[in-house]
Amino acid sequence: MAEKFDHLEEHLEKFVENIRQLGIIVSDFQPSSQAGLNQKLNFIVTGLQDIDKCRQQLHDITVPLEVFEYIDQGRNPQLYTKECLERALAKNEQVKGKIDTMKKFKSLLIQELSKVFPEDMAKYRSIRGEDHAPS
Amino acid sequence: MKTTDARHRDRAGAEETMENFSALFGAQADPPPPPSALGFGPGKPPPPPPPPPGGGPGTAPPSTAATAPPGADKSAAGCGPFYLMRELPGSTELTGSTNLITHYNLEHSYNKFCGKKVKEKLSNFLPDLPGMIDLPGSHDNSSLRSLIEKPPILGGSFNPITGTMLAGFRLHTGPLPEQCRLMHIQPPKKKNKHKHKQSRTQDPVPPETPSDSDHKKKKKKKEEDPERKRKKKEKKKKKNRHSPDHPGVGGSQASSSSSLR
Repeated sequence: MAEKFDHLEEHLEKFVENIRQLGIIVSDFQPSSQAGLNQKLNFIVTGLQDIDKCRQQLHDITVPLEVFEYIDQGRNPQLYTKECLERALAKNEQVKGKIDTMKKFKSLLIQELSKVFPEDMAKYRSIRGEDHAPS
Repeated sequence: MKTTDARHRDRAGAEETMENFSALFGAQADPPPPPSALGFGPGKPPPPPPPPPGGGPGTAPPSTAATAPPGADKSAAGCGPFYLMRELPGSTELTGSTNLITHYNLEHSYNKFCGKKVKEKLSNFLPDLPGMIDLPGSHDNSSLRSLIEKPPILGGSFNPITGTMLAGFRLHTGPLPEQCRLMHIQPPKKKNKHKHKQSRTQDPVPPETPSDSDHKKKKKKKEEDPERKRKKKEKKKKKNRHSPDHPGVGGSQASSSSSLR
């Protein structure tokens, strides 16, 4: 799994480096650097071909659209992961609180109903397979 | 339409709950007729018999628990007096009561991203990328969203540039004009350096070199401190000599500084 990404990362890094070098050549162009420029242009084409080949290995990878918003705003995409994890934990705690409260409510309700309707509640417990009354 | 449907549903629901309540709380010897039979609308369910003052288990009204009312579902007949009983969810089912981050082995990721401060800028995530990448993509029309919304027209494959095509890339000699030099604009390095230092200190296993250098710096400070104290002392002594009005103060300071040693 990680190898696929390493492969793509390697190609992207090479591509970025080629673009950077091309930028340097172009920024102060000399007639002697025409051969180098032509070579770099073809490197870029082969770089694009290599990146395109990686697409086949990564067709099953999905990226959330929100990440692109972070990148477009010049923000670190790791912040998205961070916020996702924080939101997941907060929601997890919230649901846990609800479940715990409902469990408490159930035990209290059974306890109180057992006081008023002991026979019915004994039957209820036998149906549910609970032998002992909740304390 | 919605409201009428809701009314029907409410009425049916009320009747159902009435039956449930009567079954759950133990049907009385003479159950009251349903409110619809009396010509009333769906009213409140009849109040359950008041609990006995003692509240003891033996004083509860007798229930007809064993016999299911005629309106009961056949499948619910095995549940005795209880209606609409469902199977409880299995304890093995994954719910929010378990810590899902530990369940999916994401503690490492959680500690990595939430344990320390994540740097805000994109250039901190991609420090080796040339150009000013912290600016919003909408400024120079380089946003990824625009790439999705308006995908470029692709020919299908990337072909190498041949000799005749390369003739189109013959450039004029000389430097580029200022406004075209986007590649040379970099985010400020000072902040990056500072942040790198912070990240180093936050790393769980920091490399040896920075800790050593820190140690040296501390040593230097320690070495400098006594020299400063000596100098201060000398200055104070000189002052005290010149001011005979306050001989005690200088002596006490000297003693305090010596005690610091």
